[in-house]
Amino acid sequence: MTELEGRERGVGPHVLIVEDDANAADALRILFSETGHRVSLAYSARRAVQLATDDPPDLLLLDLTLPDGDGLEVIDRLRAVGIALGTVVALTGHDHPDVKEECRAHGCAEVLTKPVSIRELLRKAPGWIEAGGRGAGDRG
Amino acid sequence: MIRSDPSQPPYEPDAIESRIAELEARHRAALRRIAELEARDARKTEFFANISHDLRTPLSAVVTHAEILRDGILGLLTPPQQASIEGIIRGGRQLLAQVNEILTYARGEAGQLTLVRSPIEVRELLTQVLTLNEPLAARKELTLELRAGEGLPRVLADRAKIAHVVGNLLGNAIAFTPIGGQVWVDAQRADIDGAPAIRFEVGDTGIGIAPEHHDLIFREFAQVDSSASRRHHGTGLGLAIARRLVELHGGRIWVESALGEGSRFRFLIPCSSESP
Repeated sequence: MTELEGRERGVGPHVLIVEDDANAADALRILFSETGHRVSLAYSARRAVQLATDDPPDLLLLDLTLPDGDGLEVIDRLRAVGIALGTVVALTGHDHPDVKEECRAHGCAEVLTKPVSIRELLRKAPGWIEAGGRGAGDRG
Repeated sequence: MIRSDPSQPPYEPDAIESRIAELEARHRAALRRIAELEARDARKTEFFANISHDLRTPLSAVVTHAEILRDGILGLLTPPQQASIEGIIRGGRQLLAQVNEILTYARGEAGQLTLVRSPIEVRELLTQVLTLNEPLAARKELTLELRAGEGLPRVLADRAKIAHVVGNLLGNAIAFTPIGGQVWVDAQRADIDGAPAIRFEVGDTGIGIAPEHHDLIFREFAQVDSSASRRHHGTGLGLAIARRLVELHGGRIWVESALGEGSRFRFLIPCSSESP
């Protein structure tokens, strides 16, 4: 598989996809870049923190199980250095209510079970981005 | 030598001692063997959980890629292309549902299932599960009926898990009821040792289950062998999972049925379920 991790040129709201399975990440990348978004891709928590620090996303799609740690740590680490994140949507591998509570406590707007219906994603994305973008506006 | 019982043959003390020593050695060997088998069983359970998780990831990606094609995000499709993609998505989602069952089972075996309780409106939950199963029932021209009346007390239970139990029972009822039959869900006030409870029922006019199989079917990997069950390809875990989820709530599950007379699967859930 082509390594696509990193920032993509383009216009539109910034969506950062954090997902360690390259194939799953690629599907989401195609979905968002083909529908008018500027997409960044990270396969690890470390890379996600780096990308979000350089260019805070309007929408952060965050897989919870990453090779170098818990997805929620990405939120903690970014908040610790004062990055105003956009809307965070957690992606989990299976329905696990315990995780849901923990995600909400970390400020995730929603917790979705994979595979997420792309219709649901596209329907909700504008609202998430609007809310996330406002947060970014407050910052500057 | 003590001869308290004249009917028993006399034993030499040495012989008795060596016999005891021999039995103790065999007992220790049996305990070691049990421990070995238990450890192996636990490793297999862990393997199940891991493999299920690893199967889910690529399968999820397949479904998402297919949905992107289906919705024309990469260009419009012809109707036959659309139908073919729908087939990929349907198959992928079916496979995911089965993998999820295995994962739930393995978690239950490993004691990793926990309850997240909230007050549940029983009738509303049953309606929701029925609605989800309507397309399946319609395909077999089955009558699907909600018999539970209004005014049932709310139950403090794990909503997703109760829905899972009802869904598994309903799935079986639909699978094992011939075309044109009836399937229903019901809920009634009941009690468990005097404490208020709800008795759920999923019934059907299907092929029924012989009484000698009533316990067997709640064991994992069990499917009573019949042409109907061979046609119904399941993981064989549905009822074992249902039993575990009900017992996790401090309830119990059983079936009332006879061959050719349909089945009534019933389970009790305490209204304010404490951990058993």
